Amino acid sequence: MLVALKIKRFDPERKPAAWWSNYKLEAAPGDRVLDLLVRAKDELDGSLTFRRSCAHGICGSDAMRINGTNRLACKTLVRELGSRITVEPLLGMRVEKDLVVDMEPFLASYRSVKPYLINDEPLPADGRERRQSPAERLRFDDTTKCILCGCCTAACPVFWADGEYVGPAAIVQAHRFLFDSRDRGAGEHTAALLDMKGVWRCRTIFQCTLSCPREIKITQAIAEVKQAIVLGK
Amino acid sequence: MPARAPSPAPLRRSWLTVAWTLMRLSAILLVPLVWGHVIIQDMLVGVHKISLDYVAMRWASLGWRAYDAALLCFAFAHGSNGLRQVLEDYIHGQTARRILRVALFLFWLSITALGAAAVIGGVRQ
Ligand code: FES
Repeated sequence: MLVALKIKRFDPERKPAAWWSNYKLEAAPGDRVLDLLVRAKDELDGSLTFRRSCAHGICGSDAMRINGTNRLACKTLVRELGSRITVEPLLGMRVEKDLVVDMEPFLASYRSVKPYLINDEPLPADGRERRQSPAERLRFDDTTKCILCGCCTAACPVFWADGEYVGPAAIVQAHRFLFDSRDRGAGEHTAALLDMKGVWRCRTIFQCTLSCPREIKITQAIAEVKQAIVLGK
Repeated sequence: MPARAPSPAPLRRSWLTVAWTLMRLSAILLVPLVWGHVIIQDMLVGVHKISLDYVAMRWASLGWRAYDAALLCFAFAHGSNGLRQVLEDYIHGQTARRILRVALFLFWLSITALGAAAVIGGVRQ
């Protein structure tokens, strides 16, 4: 089938404002949007710029707005979209070139929740690992699936309105450690979530949950973090 | 990187935690308060039948005064805090936000005081 691919472009070295490029490509329904982008770059316009690495939905580098929804280009099939495909960079993030956005503020929010296990207690008597039951592991299983692609944060209207909001992805990461039975740093993971940048800005809009390519129940995770803070866990 | 405090690090709250919690609690209270108010005043009695006699009759009952005072407190506090949240999406400066919060607080306080004076004070015959 013939696909009309429309891509939002930006290159401050060429033009001060963004513009649209239109390409016509022959594609199979089982092709991924990433395949189309690679072919457009290889065959039609070598200046087209986008991020991708694993091409299998694991690294999280090719998040973009596809037909109005944030998705991974490598996990989105032409069949799901039809013959008209519009691709834009993620909203709410500064565009560096074409589909490449500046992820640094997003990663700074990620770092602000101290996304690592905090436990200064002495090791167990046998000097080996801190053990955890399958049920305890299951408690935070959903939030371990995050690949930090940014689809959720860039889909959040609160983040669009105020970029200083840490965003759903950072709260998902806080959840992953807050509900880990081995972790003792609840106050540290949530310290950055207490002020105007934090979790109370969430309005339960559910855009994050709808856009997550890993199908994490993000809004529920955020609600659990709020509840933990209110109740002192 | 600043040195980390040793764990365990317990959970802490902030004034935003309190504001968020009060928002939920007042919302739960508003369900019976507002529905009761709307059903009685607008449907059973009807706005056109609300006369000074009717108001005086409600004023005579301590229960209705408490009901109206509760409705006033929770509805207006809920609304003012909601307005703060919406406006703070657009107002980003720290000083501007502080001015907004003080202004909204004074607005809330004066309207609530005025309403409370009327609800609790009643009519002077
Ligand atoms: S390229 Fe790695 S997630 Fe798509």
